[in-house]
Amino acid sequence: MLTKKQNLLETIKGGRPDRFVNQYEFMELTVFIPGFKYPLAPGQTVKDDWGITFDFPEGQIGAFPLHDDKHKVIKDITQWREQVKAPRLDFKDEEWGPVIEQAGKVNREEQFLAACQMPGIFEMTHHLMGMEDALMALYEEPEEMHGLIALLKDQELRRAELIIERLHPDALFHHDDWGGQASTFLSPNMYADFFLEPYKEIYKFWKDNGIELIVHHSDSYAATYVPLMIEMGIDIWQGTMTTNDIPKLIEAYGKQITFMGGLDSGVIDFPEWTPEICAEHVEKACRSFGKHYFIPCLTQGLPFSSFPGVYDEVSRQIDIMSKKMF
Amino acid sequence: MSKIDDVKANVEKGKTKIVPGLVQEALDEGGNPVEILDAMVSAMGVVGDKFSTNEIFVPEMLMAAKAMAKGVEIIKPLLAGEGGSSLGTCVIGTVQGDLHDIGKNLVAMMIESAGFTMVDLGVDVSIEKFIDAVKTNENVKLVACSGLLTTTMPALKETVKTLKESGLPGFKVLVGGAPVTAQFAEEIGADGYAADAGSAAIKAKELIAAA
Repeated sequence: MLTKKQNLLETIKGGRPDRFVNQYEFMELTVFIPGFKYPLAPGQTVKDDWGITFDFPEGQIGAFPLHDDKHKVIKDITQWREQVKAPRLDFKDEEWGPVIEQAGKVNREEQFLAACQMPGIFEMTHHLMGMEDALMALYEEPEEMHGLIALLKDQELRRAELIIERLHPDALFHHDDWGGQASTFLSPNMYADFFLEPYKEIYKFWKDNGIELIVHHSDSYAATYVPLMIEMGIDIWQGTMTTNDIPKLIEAYGKQITFMGGLDSGVIDFPEWTPEICAEHVEKACRSFGKHYFIPCLTQGLPFSSFPGVYDEVSRQIDIMSKKMF
Repeated sequence: MSKIDDVKANVEKGKTKIVPGLVQEALDEGGNPVEILDAMVSAMGVVGDKFSTNEIFVPEMLMAAKAMAKGVEIIKPLLAGEGGSSLGTCVIGTVQGDLHDIGKNLVAMMIESAGFTMVDLGVDVSIEKFIDAVKTNENVKLVACSGLLTTTMPALKETVKTLKESGLPGFKVLVGGAPVTAQFAEEIGADGYAADAGSAAIKAKELIAAA
């Protein structure tokens, strides 16, 4: 039996996997890297080091950045240099302690140790000023946006350098949602104009420093960005929704990038979920998308579900499909 | 190309800086404010269609709506009593439990561009707030409710049911949001369903015309 790591590599290289890669099993995620501040439970409100306030209201399944006049960090894109201050990264040894301890426990033969970067650069632009302001600024003040994006990229690179020095990860799990269910937010051309080069630089830096695997999360439609993802250096696109015509993507690009998803969280992970619903979707995904260049996974951007039990049940159903199909 | 055509073309392209000047030039040349407004509404119809078919994306739609809003500012003082009246009031909001506002804001923008007066209740809107808005605003012809999460579909169903059973007269209910389908809309008793912001504006006008 292959290790989880070997099985992942066989899957993404079109080799001889001996089972489906089961969701996130191939990597241990280090979410709580110093500087990560985000509300994790309903009722919490957290201001991060950039000054972005996130609110996680009771009864919700996630947190949202606040963008009323009081909370917006960038109130005028032409003044962003005065309004945005990149936060400190000179974290003390004790701040690194817990995540170094987590990293030390990972069996690197069995799993990749993945550094987490969330949010991504596109998300940061709209977290800082709100989605509408950010998207219109791409047209109205493109030079300012290029400048802001360069600052965000540089901060990511400085952070990457520290993480590599402290944790020596093998993989990167990078979050940046680029679209909704049926479309990307930006045209591929506009996306490439603003974000391709910064991401190429970021992912090259990680790879030049020993990272074997770049996993990018965007739980959305983004089929039209796949050539750009490949150019950036992404190895696995996590969050691939079924709206993307996954078989067609695997046929066209599978040898260059693997698609991790195919199990849309919205229709599986909800209060009235049942094991039967999980089984139906998992079987359909495994049979439709196949054994190579595809990893069955809920599209949610971390290894858990919004409703208790769903993630584990999906994992159990993937094991069942592995027994049937391998 | 006439000046009014020029206004229309530049609203479609989202040229926020030049549309106000073009509107003023069209007026200076004797253009009728209502015709200029109609041209801008028509431009937004084209924008909506292109958005629905992924020819353009969210930034282009936002820019077009902003260009139109700037054009409307110029002609607004001239429209009173000239037939530039609203198609009616549209109350809009995401249903209780749902905080996603981007899609809802785009729909509001497009329906407003089609000629409605908007009352935007925001996100996480209770059934009571929707009902109050119908009662307290004048000439409510449409209530548009959305939910992005599968988890809020029951709230959408309950909101539509309560609105339809409220006994309040004169308005139609339009629903949308990522997990919502035409079939679900029909099942819960909504009058109309729209898959995106462009088709929402078209559906809004259809519903009012059929009323």
